[in-house]
Amino acid sequence: MDDLYLPRLARIAEVRDETPDTRTFVLQLRDGSVADTLPFVPGQFLELSVFGCGEAPFCIASSPTRPQALEVTVRRTGQLTDALHTLGPGDEIGLRGPCGNGFDVAAARGKDVVFVAGGIGLPPLRGLIWNVLDERESFGRVTVLYGARTPSDLVYKNELADWGRRDDLELLVTVDRAEPGWEGNVGMVPILFDMTELQPASSLVYVCGPPIMIRFVVQDLLMRGFGEDAVISTLERMMQCGVGKCNHCAIGHRYICRDGPVFSYRQIREMVE
Amino acid sequence: MSDQDAARGGSAGPRGAYAIERSRIDDWVSTVLALGEVIAPMAGHGGDVLYAPVETPDQVLWEFDNSLHPPKEVLLPQTDPLFEIRGERSGWQVAAVRPREPRILLNARSCDASGIRFLRGVHEEDLRDSAYLRRDADLTVVSLSCPQPCSQGFCICCDAGPFLDDGFDVQLTDLGEVLLAEVGSAKGEALVRTSDGLFRPASEQELSRRRMLEAVAIDSFGESTCHFGSAMRRISTGRVVEALWDTMSDWCFECGACTLVCPTCYCFSIKDRQSGGGWQRCRMWDSCQYGAFTLEASGHNPRPHRKDRVKRRFYHKVSAQYYLRDGTVGCVGCGRCVTVCLGTTDMPAVVTAIRKGVWNG
Repeated sequence: MDDLYLPRLARIAEVRDETPDTRTFVLQLRDGSVADTLPFVPGQFLELSVFGCGEAPFCIASSPTRPQALEVTVRRTGQLTDALHTLGPGDEIGLRGPCGNGFDVAAARGKDVVFVAGGIGLPPLRGLIWNVLDERESFGRVTVLYGARTPSDLVYKNELADWGRRDDLELLVTVDRAEPGWEGNVGMVPILFDMTELQPASSLVYVCGPPIMIRFVVQDLLMRGFGEDAVISTLERMMQCGVGKCNHCAIGHRYICRDGPVFSYRQIREMVE
Repeated sequence: MSDQDAARGGSAGPRGAYAIERSRIDDWVSTVLALGEVIAPMAGHGGDVLYAPVETPDQVLWEFDNSLHPPKEVLLPQTDPLFEIRGERSGWQVAAVRPREPRILLNARSCDASGIRFLRGVHEEDLRDSAYLRRDADLTVVSLSCPQPCSQGFCICCDAGPFLDDGFDVQLTDLGEVLLAEVGSAKGEALVRTSDGLFRPASEQELSRRRMLEAVAIDSFGESTCHFGSAMRRISTGRVVEALWDTMSDWCFECGACTLVCPTCYCFSIKDRQSGGGWQRCRMWDSCQYGAFTLEASGHNPRPHRKDRVKRRFYHKVSAQYYLRDGTVGCVGCGRCVTVCLGTTDMPAVVTAIRKGVWNG
């Protein structure tokens, strides 16, 4: 790329409401196919521009195994996400990337894979989940543990229902607070650990969610015998450039946007703030 | 060899040395003015020294205390439009807006020429910022050595002065009746060559005088030095006690001035700014010393306290981890942070405190 900061243009093909404040945007590149011109791995992110407002990083919520769909799921939390939420099908945005390292899919082949997500932490894992399901025979047991504050805050509700019907995937969902009509689990995500059979020796665990949830989940996993290299997370920081230059997302001499956002728990523990 | 090295002539160290009579300097500046925009130290309103475009040779200062603002703004403007944005929500046009033009930075002090070299490394490292590097390649840096080092400088501790071995296109040294011009790159060679008859090869006596001036300049630093070594060891291994960071950051007013005047600081944000009927996407200076630098949209801030931010600044500048990446400390010893800090959270004070384990702020 000649200019690090020059975005490409993409058209919003479809918008799906996930929760009262979260939407999924399906994007189409204006100047080429995703497969040919935007090769990525699950866990990488894009810098999206809402022109006139600015740009911000968002995890790719889809998988290279389904190159026809390039999706991001965005919760409204600030100026740029507010502006993005006013856009609909046919509108155009800017896009840079893919940025960051992404998940090491090859390292997970042959292993049991466990996904632990909290709230808006499911979208960054969803690309890897799709990838695993699309190459299902390459992986061992697949477990998805997902929690949100309330049933309304669960994203991808239709997809969760599909996953729940599969017999090659175990899905457990919980909410912090039930709402009328909710008959599922109530409690924080770690309560789900006792409802499934975790296999620390043969598994990789992918954790994403709010910082406090990550802390408790990781502590719990380590006590259950998971190694520090077997617990993998994707970190978030205030980011600007996405290419390791601006220094906003630095922790020590590492840049979340460039060396990450995916790190093992061992790498995270060794970082000096 | 990178494009930049090629542009600068590749080899480290001077390629040749020439001399020009002092009485002919203005003639030379006139020929340089014909080659492109010349940015040089000049007297601003009120007598402050500042680096700005000059129009006539007599505006150029040859003896001056260094400017408060480093000439890094020549390559990194405070607000730097990256491209123009036109259109509306259903269709946009985005076009880069960086014109190429030859420019000459004249009489940059050794520390500031070293700052420009540092910034080049940052933009070359890992993913190359080609737009920045093109602008850098279009700039010819003529540095002016410092036979009489300034009172607050400690460039000697950073390999950034008072005389340079490389990192310039031309290095000038004032020998009295004559100025010595050491050439460091093909661009520098061109600048001296275009001035037919003004320069002649330097004599052995002139080169010898230059070496003597450098030795005297080095001697004059005496105790006014900044001992990075042990501070680097302690910062890199997390062996600076938290209480010391607490005490040192008590003297920081979070004004960010140290970062704004630092020749090696380059933290930035990217913002859209209205322009004509559309917008410009701009790269704008930011500072790691501001609380909002790491503030996330959720409200979470991983560096909530002033101490965290002061610690971050000195980790970036002095840790071995960054030293290995950048090949140097993130400091050129210009002493500007000493001048501008309202407290005493400047480089020599912090490095001394870490080395001795005691804060005398």
